[in-house]
Amino acid sequence: MPRTVFGRPLTPWLLILPSFALALFIICYPLYNIVFQSAHEVSRFGLIKGFCGLDNFRKVFADPIFIASLWRTLWWTLGVVGGTVLVSVPVALTLNQDFYGRGVARVIVMLPWSVSLTMTAIVWRWAFNDEYGMVNVSLQRLGLISSPVHWLATSTTAFPVMILVGILVSVPFTVTIFLGGLSSVPVDIYEAARIDGASAWFQFRKLTLPLLRPFINMAIVLNVIYVFNSFPIIWVMTQGGPSNSTHILVTYLYERGFRLGKPGEAAAVSLVMLAMLLCFTAIYLKIQPREGSQA
Amino acid sequence: MIRVDRRKLRRSLVCWLALAPLVVVVLFPFAVMLLTAVKPADEVFVYPARWLPSHFRWANFADMWVATRFGVALQNSLIISISSTVLAIAVSIPAAYALARYHFGGKGFYRQFLLVTQMLSPILLVIGLFRLAAMIHVAGGNMVDKHISVIVAYAAFNIAFAVWMMSSYFATIPPDLEESAWLEGCGRARAIFKVFLPLALPAMVVTAIFTFINGWNEFAVVYTLIRSDANKTLTVQITDLVAGRYTVEWHQVMAATVLATLPVSVLFAWLQRYLVKGLALGAVK
Repeated sequence: MPRTVFGRPLTPWLLILPSFALALFIICYPLYNIVFQSAHEVSRFGLIKGFCGLDNFRKVFADPIFIASLWRTLWWTLGVVGGTVLVSVPVALTLNQDFYGRGVARVIVMLPWSVSLTMTAIVWRWAFNDEYGMVNVSLQRLGLISSPVHWLATSTTAFPVMILVGILVSVPFTVTIFLGGLSSVPVDIYEAARIDGASAWFQFRKLTLPLLRPFINMAIVLNVIYVFNSFPIIWVMTQGGPSNSTHILVTYLYERGFRLGKPGEAAAVSLVMLAMLLCFTAIYLKIQPREGSQA
Repeated sequence: MIRVDRRKLRRSLVCWLALAPLVVVVLFPFAVMLLTAVKPADEVFVYPARWLPSHFRWANFADMWVATRFGVALQNSLIISISSTVLAIAVSIPAAYALARYHFGGKGFYRQFLLVTQMLSPILLVIGLFRLAAMIHVAGGNMVDKHISVIVAYAAFNIAFAVWMMSSYFATIPPDLEESAWLEGCGRARAIFKVFLPLALPAMVVTAIFTFINGWNEFAVVYTLIRSDANKTLTVQITDLVAGRYTVEWHQVMAATVLATLPVSVLFAWLQRYLVKGLALGAVK
């Protein structure tokens, strides 16, 4: 191929080097440091007091809050990613239609992406305020509730509410991926199907869904990584409260490391999370059918 | 004369109805934010609360600007976002060019490496990042509470996105153009500067803007590394107005979120289709 005339074999590596070096520096040292801290007793101010083997891990796994957070993280990830995909497929299919105001609709659907998670969480926290929040006000006006619901102060409602916020902020990115997938679907196969008298549901199940499958897979993988690591929503809306009932691993980690002054244990939590992500990726790579050069 | 297409009109109605619940939920926080921001303070905390203010109190914004030291935080946000964008784009352009134009051993490895950097999100590494910043001593002080540490961290974590976006766009620029310039006696480097870069400029600008937005919106790293009020960015400053407080001046907080959010939202809304295209291109590559 003519591409090979584009220079010596070393050139691409020189071009890649700056970005590679920078990313390696910012990722490798902290990673090494986390492994190091997780195996040492570390004071509140980061002073290393001595090697302690797996003590930090033992302490963390003996903490019922950690175990609860671990399970809650799975529910959080499953809930947000599952909900996001379920919402995004019909939304993407709708936005892929030719209709009046489609440009406006696309912009509106994309809007939550443009706002930082932190700001979104702050606004929702205010919206869910017990007495003055607009959620309770609106629901009361509509006659759906008779007295204000303490959304964020009750553990049974706080977590589902935050899952819904998580879904809302993940939809734009996911719809984006699906729209990219739908734009690559040839139109004529639908025409052929319609001529053959296939119903809309049949077309969706037998044509759209299989063609969308690789994009759904990609959306699931990326969303699992993002959602699993998602920090601001829970940190800003409840800080893991009331009484530690809404912690997920990231908020637990942050509280251990920077509020309760236990960096060693926080480092251990980081490594547990990392192991979970690696497991997930390994499983995904295993069950994903090989598809040529797909990245 | 525009002839209204009956079928399309009916389809539009169905589509909008299908999207209506999501549209309501998306616009709801914006309505809350905007309406609270212009409410007089005594109407914010009144029970039962009402959606609309009795009058628009624009002075909330001026009060908020002073009370929250918005100007300082704004400046910090701008410094950090712009610098990290410049750094990220500067190191990502050559890498994206290499991915789009060369076949070389290790290309797959580099792509995997970028994927891994995406997986190791800042929050997982934040304990180690903090130690890294505390460890590096320059001119008698460490890097905690310094803008530069946040800038370098943001740049590093944005490389994957920037390389992905730009290489997918670069690959759509036909290499023949450079090759022919090259055959006409134009040097390799010159061909890149004269032929390639002008064509790639829009992609680079779009990528830069999204990198900027990422930096503008980031929370965990800056929340951890920056300690003093003088160095805090908008996201942290505004969070501090809310987190762990018994009384929150919600009208001021909402005024602050409006100012911190709206310019970026408008920019994003304007450019989102490029993001859609770039990510889709990158995805199928």
